[in-house]
Amino acid sequence: MSLYTYLLISAIIFAIGAYGIITQRSGIKILMCIELLLNSANLNLVAFSSFNGNATGQVFAIFSIAIAAAEAAIGFAILVALFRVRDTINLDDINILRW
Amino acid sequence: MFSDYAALIVLLPVIAFVLTLFLGKKLYSGGALLPIAAIAGSFIISFGTFLEIYPKDGIVQQSWPWFAGMNIGILIDPLAVVMLMMVSFVSLLIHIYAVGYMSHDHAKPRYFAETSLFTAAMLSVVLSDNILQFFISWELVGLCSFLLIGFWYHKPSAAAAAKKAFLVTRVGDVLFLTGIVLLYVNMSEIIAGRGFTVPEGNFILQFKTMFEAIPLINPTQLTYITLLFFGGAIGKSGQFPLHGWLPDAMEGPTTVSALIHAATMVTAGVYLVARTFPMFAATPSTLSAGVPDSLLIVAYVGGFTALFAATMGLVMNDIKRVLAYSTVSQLGYMMLALGTAGAVVGAQAVGISMFHLISHAFFKALLFLCAGSVIHAVGTNDIREMGGLFGKMKITGTTMFIAALALAGIGIPFINIGTAGFFSKDMIIEKAFEYGELKGDFIPYAFAIIAALLTSIYIFRLWFMAFTGKPRSERHSHESPGVMTRPLMILALFALFFGFAHLGFYDYLNKNFELMTGEKAAPEGESLQMSPIIVLLPVIVGVLGFLISYAIYHKKMLDMSKLVSSENPLYKLLLNRYYEPKIGADIIGVKLTHDVVAQSGEFVDRKIIDGLVIDNIIGNTLFKLGEFVRKLQTGVVQNYASVILLGLGLLIILLRIKFGGT
Repeated sequence: MSLYTYLLISAIIFAIGAYGIITQRSGIKILMCIELLLNSANLNLVAFSSFNGNATGQVFAIFSIAIAAAEAAIGFAILVALFRVRDTINLDDINILRW
Repeated sequence: MFSDYAALIVLLPVIAFVLTLFLGKKLYSGGALLPIAAIAGSFIISFGTFLEIYPKDGIVQQSWPWFAGMNIGILIDPLAVVMLMMVSFVSLLIHIYAVGYMSHDHAKPRYFAETSLFTAAMLSVVLSDNILQFFISWELVGLCSFLLIGFWYHKPSAAAAAKKAFLVTRVGDVLFLTGIVLLYVNMSEIIAGRGFTVPEGNFILQFKTMFEAIPLINPTQLTYITLLFFGGAIGKSGQFPLHGWLPDAMEGPTTVSALIHAATMVTAGVYLVARTFPMFAATPSTLSAGVPDSLLIVAYVGGFTALFAATMGLVMNDIKRVLAYSTVSQLGYMMLALGTAGAVVGAQAVGISMFHLISHAFFKALLFLCAGSVIHAVGTNDIREMGGLFGKMKITGTTMFIAALALAGIGIPFINIGTAGFFSKDMIIEKAFEYGELKGDFIPYAFAIIAALLTSIYIFRLWFMAFTGKPRSERHSHESPGVMTRPLMILALFALFFGFAHLGFYDYLNKNFELMTGEKAAPEGESLQMSPIIVLLPVIVGVLGFLISYAIYHKKMLDMSKLVSSENPLYKLLLNRYYEPKIGADIIGVKLTHDVVAQSGEFVDRKIIDGLVIDNIIGNTLFKLGEFVRKLQTGVVQNYASVILLGLGLLIILLRIKFGGT
């Protein structure tokens, strides 16, 4: 497979993630879509790294995965806490900081 | 070998601070053991360093570049090493004592963490080899003082006292900082204009460099610099007119009072003057012949404070307040020593002052810890409600009596047997007399000798009222546990016997500035033959004070009710502390700052600037614009995400246009 195939797949995943973030209303689904965005970026990094014969990109991907894990943990923790207080994770209902 | 680890002296308590703060809750007694171990480590390293450098008259210097010609460094010379040992030792004993004293408190981890940080900051003040690091540690010490005075922050009086301490010492700190800036400006000037070069491996604000630059600095400027430094010392050491915060600081736990407001922190001001003593001694003599101006002012402020604070100590009824005024008064003695002895025997004054500082640290820490033991047992601070405690608290009573003897300076002249205070304070009083003889100015001596009489009266008044006679209230009291009484006994030993080290101490400290600059210290002034009455007088007034207190407060030979009443204007004046809190809060705080400065500022701001310009044109426009713009914040995450994606897309397109490519 050529580099373009990987990039194309990555772009598709990214588009799916972005679409999800814009259209979904549930906090959990949005977090999942963010994971898609991150992983599409990771895929890019690994693909370039592999085709250029330079391991740096893969190292970055590993960092990025680790950070994504932390981010997901915090995100879900916030959602759980939110659910306890407000009984909902529908982001449309959570807007008290608006004007 | 120990001196290589000198940095650990400061770092160990810092580590203990972090660990205690976060883990203290889970450890024995709120994590008290961590600071105790760390400070014991600091003491061992300090003591080891002392043993290493004492025989060969060495000093320890380590320094690392920081920024723009500044550095961080360590300087352990005789002056610093004796302070290091004192601070770490007294702090160690007080920490051990606090395990017992604070045993009922819920916030022990916070207490021990803060005292540990305080110790680290104070040790860092002592170790600093440059004035900037000195100032930073100095501020950290001030912060810890604020935190610890306000330790029981739910008490409004404690919160107010903490605020007062912070604000009043801030006045001094600003002066000190101004002094540093002025010094830096002058140093830069002589480097640019008079060919002064900072030696290789040295830095611009190091004490060493400062002392080398003294002859080149404009003498008038030098006077300003030293007086500004002294302004900082006035704030920190509670000298007149910035003394008011120290008695109020007694709102903190008694151990804090012992640690900070008696033994260690308040001595930082004296230490600052001692540390920069060559600069004080080099100022020109315009006010009085043969006496450098700055030293003259130091002597007068110190002497006046010694007397002024002692008068208030006579009438206070709060056991800790009496001791607080005593501290202010004794710090005045140290300043007086630097000033008067500095004028007659040059740099030897540092040894004389430091000896009193260290012996004072022992007996004043002891007095406070005894007071803490009494308060712990009786549950009140008011000596009018105590009485007859000696039968129940033998150890506390005895050790406190020893401390009182040391504070009053009781001893036997000519054969040189006496308490620590006898050696240190008599030396100061004698030097003040010598100053009077040589310079024809006996005012400092008068301050010193009258204050000595008052000191003896107020401290024995305290002791007799608390420990003898009949109990004046129905309070249950008991001797404190061993963890509290043992530090008392150790300190009592020092208060009794430390004085015998005086000759070696003076010799060692006299070398201090020679070791640093490599030059001989100022030649010794001619020794004066004193008449026996002058030598005896300090002890006579000490004993006299004891007898007066004995007669009045134990034997009740005089009826004090006439004197001690609100009818007596003098008593009223003293009890109201010369109206200092009123002057500070009502006149300076409310009338001057709020009514005049703040109100006129408010008038200009609201009526002129807002009313004429900003509010009508700029203010209203911005306000309306804001009303419109804030509608963009919909609070819907998806809108934000869409805008971000849109922005990203635009950015990519722009990059394509700018840089081309396929």
